[in-house]
Amino acid sequence: MSEGHLLLVDDEAQLVRALTPALTAAGYDVATAGTGAEALTRLAREPSDVVLLDLGLPDMDGKEVISRIREWSEIPILVLSARDLEEEKIAALDLGADDFVNKPFGVGELLARIRAAQRGRERRLLGSASFKAGDLEVNFASRRTFIQGEEIRLTPREYDLVRTLARNPGRVITHKQIIASVWGSTATVDAQFVRVLVAQVRQKLEEEPSAPKIILTEPGVGYRLAADD
Amino acid sequence: MALWSARAVGFPPPLYDLRARRRGPSNERPFRTSKLRRRPPSNSRLMSLTQPKSPPPSRHDARSGRIGYAAAFGMVLASTAVAELLNRLLQTNRLSPVFLAAVLITAVTFGSGPAYFAALLAFGIYNFYLVEPRFTLGEFTAEDILLLTIFLAVAMLTGRLAGRVRDQAASAQARARTTQALFEASREFSGLNEEEFIRSGLLKHVSEVAGAPAALWRDGACRTSPEGAAVPSAVREALAGATAAGSIAGWRVRPLMVDQPELGNLAWRETGARTRGEDPLVDVLVDVGAAAIIRARLGAAEAEVRAMAETERLRNALLSSISHDLRTPLASILASVSSLREFGDRFEPAVTEDLLSTIQEEAERLNQFVANLLHMTRLEGGGLGVTAVRTDVREVAGRVVDRLRRRVGRRSLIIAQDRLDVRADPILLEQALGNVVENAIRFTPDGSTIELDWRRDGERVLLEIADDGPGVPPEDLCRIFEKFYRSPALSANLQGTGLGLSIVRGLMESMDGGAEARAREGGGLIVSLHLPAGDET
Repeated sequence: MSEGHLLLVDDEAQLVRALTPALTAAGYDVATAGTGAEALTRLAREPSDVVLLDLGLPDMDGKEVISRIREWSEIPILVLSARDLEEEKIAALDLGADDFVNKPFGVGELLARIRAAQRGRERRLLGSASFKAGDLEVNFASRRTFIQGEEIRLTPREYDLVRTLARNPGRVITHKQIIASVWGSTATVDAQFVRVLVAQVRQKLEEEPSAPKIILTEPGVGYRLAADD
Repeated sequence: MALWSARAVGFPPPLYDLRARRRGPSNERPFRTSKLRRRPPSNSRLMSLTQPKSPPPSRHDARSGRIGYAAAFGMVLASTAVAELLNRLLQTNRLSPVFLAAVLITAVTFGSGPAYFAALLAFGIYNFYLVEPRFTLGEFTAEDILLLTIFLAVAMLTGRLAGRVRDQAASAQARARTTQALFEASREFSGLNEEEFIRSGLLKHVSEVAGAPAALWRDGACRTSPEGAAVPSAVREALAGATAAGSIAGWRVRPLMVDQPELGNLAWRETGARTRGEDPLVDVLVDVGAAAIIRARLGAAEAEVRAMAETERLRNALLSSISHDLRTPLASILASVSSLREFGDRFEPAVTEDLLSTIQEEAERLNQFVANLLHMTRLEGGGLGVTAVRTDVREVAGRVVDRLRRRVGRRSLIIAQDRLDVRADPILLEQALGNVVENAIRFTPDGSTIELDWRRDGERVLLEIADDGPGVPPEDLCRIFEKFYRSPALSANLQGTGLGLSIVRGLMESMDGGAEARAREGGGLIVSLHLPAGDET
């Protein structure tokens, strides 16, 4: 059973060597690229279903690779990055990367993230009028939100937040992206407004607002909606 | 004879023994000559301040006084001779102009004192010698009185005029000396960045310029110039607590700077005429010194801030690159281990073997990195134990290549095969050589060629590591061995710690060797290491 074609872009030969067997065992057809230019050529030549991208490439900035891919493809992109390079990660996500995995990582975590990114993309492409994951159900057509089938009253702004996350399940949405979607791209609000809004929504949606299960925090980066189940 | 005694009364001879003044600044120096007293007070003060450094003006006056009186005497005698000559030639005794001329010349040349003396002497001789009855001091006629008055008037006016000109010249000179003294002090201070040196310099200058002992108090310690000079206990007390300028026990005490008590206090003994007022030059000198100390403090504070910022920058650079260099092998190890746990039962034996060797190699790489860090610390702390023995370069290079073989990737690594002995610590040499080769691998793309060669060069052995990669900009060639130097042209992830080559140089130097880099013709970089040849004793 093939999970699809996966392109692994990393100049660190040892990491490529370590990851390839597990990715293959998990059902992916693995192709590798050591430079940004090689990655772009490969993507143009042969179809791929997911890209794992290291941000530090010898020939070009990984962010540049993301924006070049996003010019023509909606393929899920997962960024492999060091935990302390927060700004790099945010910039990559703002440019259209789907998610990131902090180095060093275990393959279990990596595979879970890859699967989530792929599923999220499928859902986006489906363009369905509603979203359902776990207890949460969002009806985009009627702008109504349900928890375990029970409707939750949300303010327009709260609904906009839920919709933004639900339209991109499994994907990390940065503070900046949430602001642009909820307040408008010209709004001058900072991440603190987002935090307050998220706290309000959690009060209404989460069973245990202090231990959220639906809207998950990516510290310093943004939020994601739990897309599993 | 009455005239001679008149001289003694009206024209006091020079008052002082000049040699006494040279004994030292503690001597009360007389400087109140008749001339000095006539000067404007400010001039006399300035003049007196510079006395210890330059010939005192009164000394000149005293000498010219003695010479002046003698010259006046001679001048009058000469005019007498001329008068006698004219008397005989012209048969006339109306020769007072001749004596007037003597008075005039004396006044112009030697000033008022000798001029008065010449006037009286000339009048006496004239009266005694030319006025009938000759060779008697006859009754003074109205004409004689007039003549005497004219003589004295000429002596007074001319002498004063000439004296003023000389005074002005002398005070200009004194001002110049004053300015010079200040200039020298401030120049000396401006060349000093060390607060303590400025303080000692200031103390010395104040003592010199004031011509008296000076004392400096700071943080409970009292220093004097000249060393060991006695400072009255009242002055010591005042020094310890002074917050404003004042005088006590004949000393002037002032803080270096009024609103900065921590700079210290200064005192100097006031001498002679200066007790009445302040001492502008010394005060200005102290101000200059205080300003220099403040400047030095600001400079030191600034340097400290800059050093702290630089340390902070280096620490951040080190931390970020250490975390990168640690995390990269860790990522491979963790990926391999988790792969084995997750899928181990499904892997082919060869795959499992490959993952295990990845774990081993990456663990070794981590170990190497930690060794580099340790070597850096020891190189800096001087705790590096070097055991230089006869070592075969080929063997060391072989170990380096074995260790790095997997990292070489699609680059070719060409190694010389000659046996060559050097005198080196084999472990440290392996580390140094490994760093250079690793560097070459890191900074060259796939398909590059890296060559390792060595040869004998006189009593040294030269090891060269050449690559055909992107090379280093010529202006940076000399910087690549600096700690934390990282090529600005490369992306952050490619950058290493910027420690590798700096450790190489440190290690080579610890083995009596060295490391250099140069551009390779046709592109690329050549790093050359040199060491003493192995057959040297």
